[in-house]
This record gives sequence, C-alpha cells and structure tokens, in this order.
Amino acid sequence: MMRQAVVVGGGAFLSAVILFLFTAGQHLAISAWPDALFGSGASTLDEIILLYGLFPRAGVAIISGAALGLSGALLQQLLRNPIADPSTLGISAGAQLAIVAATLFFPQILDGNRTMIALSGAGAAAIIVFALGWRSSFEPVTMVVSGMLVGVTAVALSSALTLAQGEYLMSLVTWNGGSLSQQDWSVFNALSIELLAGMAFMLLLMRPLLLLGLGDASARSLGVSLRGIRLAVATIATALAGFVAANVGLVSFVGLAAAALVRGCGISKPSAVLVLSPLAGALFLWLCDGAVQVLSGATGETFPTGSVTALIGGPILLWLLPKVRTLRAKSPPVNTTRRIQFPKGITGLLALLPFILVLAFFVGNDGRSWAMLSYADAAELTPLRWPRLLAAAGAGGLLALTGAILQRMTGNPMASPEVIGVSGGAGLGFAASLTLVPAGGPYSLAVGAALGGLAAMSIVLAFARRQNLPQEKLLLAGIAVSSLSSSMLAVLMAAGDQRAWQILAWIGGSASSATPATAIFLASLSLLIMLVAMTLVRWLTLLPLGQATSHSLGVPSMGSRMTILAVCGLATGAASVLVGPLSFVGLIAPHIAIRAGFVTARDHLVSSFVLGALIMAFADFGARTVTFPYELPLGLFAAMVGAPYLIWLVGRR
Amino acid sequence: MKAVLQNYREMSTLGSRDHSEKSNDDRGEREAGKAFSVNNVGLTIDGREILSDVTLEFPPGEVVALVGHNGSGKSTLLKILARQLAPTAGTSTYADRELATYDNRSFARSVAYLPQDLGTGSDMTVRELVACGRYPWHGALGRFSAVDREKVDAAILVTGIEGYADRLVGTLSGGERQRAWIAMLIAQDASSLLLDEPTAALDIAHQLEVLSLVRKLANDRGKSVVVVLHDINMAARFCDRIHALKNGRMVASGAPSEILVPDTLRCIYGIEMNVIVPSNTSRPIVYPL
Repeated sequence: MMRQAVVVGGGAFLSAVILFLFTAGQHLAISAWPDALFGSGASTLDEIILLYGLFPRAGVAIISGAALGLSGALLQQLLRNPIADPSTLGISAGAQLAIVAATLFFPQILDGNRTMIALSGAGAAAIIVFALGWRSSFEPVTMVVSGMLVGVTAVALSSALTLAQGEYLMSLVTWNGGSLSQQDWSVFNALSIELLAGMAFMLLLMRPLLLLGLGDASARSLGVSLRGIRLAVATIATALAGFVAANVGLVSFVGLAAAALVRGCGISKPSAVLVLSPLAGALFLWLCDGAVQVLSGATGETFPTGSVTALIGGPILLWLLPKVRTLRAKSPPVNTTRRIQFPKGITGLLALLPFILVLAFFVGNDGRSWAMLSYADAAELTPLRWPRLLAAAGAGGLLALTGAILQRMTGNPMASPEVIGVSGGAGLGFAASLTLVPAGGPYSLAVGAALGGLAAMSIVLAFARRQNLPQEKLLLAGIAVSSLSSSMLAVLMAAGDQRAWQILAWIGGSASSATPATAIFLASLSLLIMLVAMTLVRWLTLLPLGQATSHSLGVPSMGSRMTILAVCGLATGAASVLVGPLSFVGLIAPHIAIRAGFVTARDHLVSSFVLGALIMAFADFGARTVTFPYELPLGLFAAMVGAPYLIWLVGRR
Repeated sequence: MKAVLQNYREMSTLGSRDHSEKSNDDRGEREAGKAFSVNNVGLTIDGREILSDVTLEFPPGEVVALVGHNGSGKSTLLKILARQLAPTAGTSTYADRELATYDNRSFARSVAYLPQDLGTGSDMTVRELVACGRYPWHGALGRFSAVDREKVDAAILVTGIEGYADRLVGTLSGGERQRAWIAMLIAQDASSLLLDEPTAALDIAHQLEVLSLVRKLANDRGKSVVVVLHDINMAARFCDRIHALKNGRMVASGAPSEILVPDTLRCIYGIEMNVIVPSNTSRPIVYPL
C-alpha cells in the first residue's frame, strides 16, 4: 500500500520536474541556470522569464494545489463525503463571483482588498450550501448537488454581470479564470503564508476532526463540541479556497482529485489522508500546469490550467459516485397536490399569452426608462421581434417537454435536459459540427447538437442504470458530465480562434440570431415533437411505477427507453442551438406544472410545454430589455431565475 | 451483474414484438389449467452461483410458497418466473412453453408480478394505478374500452378498496397500498400471480388481510399464485404447497404438513425448531428453540 503510494507520488514528482525542466529549458539552457540564479541577478529577458515567470509559476501551482488539496480533504472529513471539494460545494465559484462583482462595481476597493473580497464571496457561498445541507443533516449527495447548483448560479451571475456591463472582453476574463501565469513572487509569498496558517490550524484541530469521522452521535458522546469544530474546520477550508480564488482564479476539482488519488493508492486512514492530500494536490496541479505549458508551447495556444483540471475532475466525480453512500430514508414524499381540471388549467395558462405578447411587442427600454410603444412603432419593430419571440417560445416548449418526459421516465423529479448533461453534450456536438463541417449552416449545427445531446444522455442514463443509481446520484452524474463538457468548451474557447466567439455566444444562448425561417422551423418542430410525445403517454404513465412493474406489464424496456431518448435528444438539440446549454426551463416548467395540479402524464406534458414556451418568451423579453442596449444571453437570464428555484427545491426536500 | 443485464436486454428486445391481437373475453377461466415449471434452472452472476439446479413444479390453481433464509435465492427464482431475470442454465416454462419465447404483452396477459420494492406511483389515484394493469390489453395506443373499465371496477371491488379508490396512492397506509397494487394485478386479468414478499412491511393484522385476499383469489377465481414469504407459519396457514430453498438449491418441497417437521425445518433454516399444535386449533405452529 505504502509502496504503491510512494511509486505513484515519486512518478508524479519526476514527471512534473521533467515537464518543468523541459519548459524552462526552452527559455534558458539548464547549464546557464546557476549563473542566473546565484549570479549578479537577472539581466537578459530569458533570465527574467525564468526567475520571475517560470519559477514563481511552479511555486504557485504547488502552493495552490496544496491549499486546495487540504481544503478538499478537510471538507471531506468534515462532511464524511468523498466528493466534497471547494468546487463541488460552490465555494470557489462564490469567491469568483465576488471578485467579478467588485471588479465591475467597486474597482476602487478591489485594490489591496482582493483577498477579503474573495473570502467574503467564498464564505457566503459556503453558508448557503451548509444551510441547505443542514436540513438533510449534511447528506453527502444533497450537499454536493446544492453546492454545484450554487456554483452554476454564481458562474451564470458572473457572466451576466460582465456581459451586462457591456465589456464583452471581460467575459473572456471570467472564462479564463485559473490561469497560473506569474510576473513576480508576490502571489507565491502571500499564498505560502496563508497555506502555512491553514496547516497550523489543521494540526490543532486534528484530534477532534478525526473523532468527527465516527459519526455525530459517537463524536458527541466522546465530548467533541460538534458546532464549534464544524465551524472552525469549515472556516479554514473555505478560507483556503478563497485565498486560491483571490490569487489565481477558479481552479476546479483539485481537492477532489487529491483526496481521491490518496485513497486510490490504498491509504484510507483519515489522518494520513488529511496529511497526504495537500502533497497530492500540489503534485497534481504542478503536473497539470506543466502539461498545459508544454502543450501550449507546442500549439502556440494558451489554456487556463483551471479548466484543464476540471476536465480531469468530471471523470473522477463519475468514478467516485458509486462509492458515495446515501443516507436518505427511502420513504417517498407524500404528494397531496390538488388536481386541476385540464381544460380549466390550460385556459388559465393561455390567458397569460396576451400579456406576454403585449410585453414583447409594445414595451421598450431605451436604456434610461421603460416606455410603451405606439402602435406604429410596434408595427415597425414587429418583423424584428416576432422571429426571436417565436423561436424562444418553441425552444422553451421543447426543453420543458423534454424535462417532463425525463422526469417521468426516470421517476426522478430532478431530471431535466440541462441537469442530466444533455445540454452540455449538445454543446460539444455544436462545437464538433463547427469544426468538422465549417460551412454547414444552422441545420448542420442543429444536427450536431442533437447528436451530442443524445450521446451525453445515453452515457448518463446507461451509467445510472448499470450502477443502479438513486435519484440524487443520477443528478450528480449529469452535473459531472455537464461540467466536463463545459470545461472542454472552455478549453476550446481559450484556444482562442474564431470559433470561440460562436461557442461563447452559444453558451449564453441568444435568440437574436433567429431568422423567420429558423423560427418557423423550430416552432413547427416543437409542435411535431409534442404530437409524437402524446403517443408516449401510456409508457410515461407506467414507467414511474418502476422498472420491474413496467416490464411485468409488458412495456418493452429497451424499446420504450430508446424511443423516448431519441425524442428527447432531438428536442434538446434543436432547442439548445438557440438558447444555449443552461436555462433550467426544462427543470422548472414541469415542476410548476405538477405543483399547479397537472398530474397525469398527458396533462403534465401539455401543460409543461405551454408553460415552458411562455417562460422562454418572457425570458426573451427580459434578456432583450433589462440591460438595454446590451443584450443578456437568453439562457443566462433564464438560469438566473431557474437556479435559485432549483436550490430552494433541493433544500426543501 | 453485467451478464444479467445483457441477458435481460436480449430478452426485452426478443419480446418487443407487439401482438395486438386482443380478446377481452374471460381468459382467466380459460387459462386456469396452466402453470409454471422449472427444470434444472441455474443462475450464475460474475462466477457466483445464485441458483443452481432447481427443478420444481407449480401446479395450476394452487397457492405455492417459496421460503428460505435470506439470500437463499427465493426472490431470484420468482424473478426468473416473472421474466425479470433470464436463467443462465436450465429451462423454465409457463403453460408448457419456454418463457423466453413469449412476447412482453402476451406474457403480461397471463402472468402478473408484484415486485418487492414498489415504485412510488404516489401521485396517481388508486383508480389510475389499478387502470395501469390494463396496459397489456390496450397497449401503447389502443383505446381504453368499456371492458377495460369494467375490469378495473371489478378489481377494485374484489380487493375491497372502493372506499379509497379516488385517493392518492402516496397518502395510503402500508396495508392499503399493498391492496391497491394487488388490485392492479387483478385488473391485469392474468391467470397467474407472482408476489414477492407482499407482507414484508405490514403488521400482523394486515399480513392476514393480504394473504386472505390471495387465498380467496385462488379459491374463487382459480388463480395460480406463487408467493415469496419469510414467515413459515403464514406460509403453512395460507398455502397449498411449500418449496424451500437453501443457498440457491431446492431442499424441501411438499404440503405444509410435510414441511412443518423439525428435521426438515433444521435443514431449511439451519436452526432447531419445534412444531406444536395448540389445543384450540388444528393448525401446527413453528417456533425456534
């Protein structure tokens, strides 16, 4: 066991050193180093790059990795949760959001207070996630689901803030978070002190922390003050993540990977995991950064190291998922929703339509105040506005329909195209078709996105089926796939060629690209898919009864699932070409529909479709006008509304 | 596990041909002469033997109990009969026809299965849940006919759940929920019922209630029933025949009076048990020493 750890650790260390020497050697031959290091000081440009660029960068990679590794190990021990990590708990993203907000609104206080601002952001995110977890007594999967949703919301907010300020370039800064490039030793020095302080506190808390691993009741009966120790450990872990975020930006999943690597080497003693995780994190990040530098040296592109670690983190999360135990009691929540008469309910929904039409065609914002347009003005603007309205409504309807279908098929109230990774897969398909068929036009993009979405959905569901994952884990598998694909997209974008702009525009989602032709295409497609979905109603009534029951009633298990999956993949692909990967309409609309009393499969599908179309039409209005003259991405606007609803839902259950 | 899923998938695709021949006449009586038999059946998953060399008959019109210790393979055997799992060895037949050759819906018209873990279905009313049992007859697109409606009403009456037919399943107590699900199986109008521990989560009064209902279905309607039970006393009281499994093998089979013998019981459960006949009843009672 120990030998395996030494071999893996030694191998990683050697590879990292070799990568470093390779990169550094390209700037200055190693034989010239002693002179540069101990000589009269840097004089040539290459010597300066070595001394103030490459060495500090390696140092920062090591220190940040160690800090994140420690933070992750502390959170894992604290929550008894092998998938806890500053990034899966939303803490890093919270820090990032605070920095972005400060940069945009209070640039004067940012200078010198960067660390404080990042810490407050990280702290706020941690408080939200812990408060949500409190109600389910820190059940591991619920914690991480809430954390990742908080993270997604924070990232959406950061992007929306930057875009709303009109500084489109800043959006690249947001995505570029996690670059480890350095100009001097200041970051290294600051982080080292912070890390040492964190380690000192950890050693003080080591004993009670280890007792905490026995379970609340045992720890309490041994005289550990649960509240105090939890608060202290959470503070240290949050602070460490905040320090790293303040100095180098969003570096994801290092804590997760570090502890997983240590455990993967067969070391499971909690104290050993706590001590070795910082080491593993340091090696991991240094190695990743070395690989990134060699790669970018070879291709001439620069990748932010943070998004590269996220590429590794997604698969690790999937790999760990089956090992996480779920504490939740099995009793299903009693649903006492009052049913609504279908004609009455659907009429009520459609009554909102005139209201939205008036908003869409007659209300404007000139950047200073809101105004009603005259009839003539409205008539003049109509040709510009109807295609995007129709397209947005069609996309919303499709996403909501898919969400309703997936929720019924998986028997999982949290399933939706965005959440189970379909949208992320659609993004990769989109990027692939941009690359492979550059001259393809919107239809080949739609096909690419549909295929990508279908692939991602099949992977997540097949994975869930093979491992027999319960509801919450399915959700997590989907989020892992989503974050994997979004970090792949981030890497593609950071590569920075012209396609980046198209992908960036797509991630936010915008209806402004809709033409009359695409709008009509999307609207007809959504109606067609709605009709097809109506023929699936019987299956969707039986499938929630469980695999065994539906099979014994004669529903073809594979056939029905494949058909439904194909419909969903097609629908999501077509919709997400327009509104981007993140909107949560597919999750929210079916929920509101159920809560409103549309319970049977048919009612649920139809009402979700209508509601989704209405929500998206309204979101289009909001995205277009709220920050006029700049347009908010449609998907981001919807996500800002949707993600908090989702977080509330997770916390409430 | 992978191998099982593989087989399972193959079976599902095999059976996915859709026979829409539909005859809603009273098949229950017509099919009463049919039942299950398994011959040298075995199931091996990842090199681990779950069942081996089981040969058993399940006579028509009888209530047969499958008993045994935890992990003895009784639920697995029931799943094989229900076509939820495909055996890796031996043959299993229903009405003298190999199970794998049935297609999904025509099998569902003959055999109904109650899994141990019931899906929630909690947002349905009891009546809607019972109506789900009609799927094998009307299929994905067929009309929900007057016959379907009659069968649902009849099933609700027979199980005595008409008092809460319009309540949501999620609001029912354990015993009521179990009855609602059994009503769904009855609406399915199959001549054979496979029940996996239908009394597991119930108190003693509800156990009696559910098993009496099962007994009544066999007596009055000629249904063949196979039921997995933990409680050997309940099995002896309500069943015509008991098959006992141990470590995946058949160890005893016979009428309750043949099974309720200390030697046989020791063989099944591995502990000493005594059998007495209380003075106020003719039914024997088993208790561990």
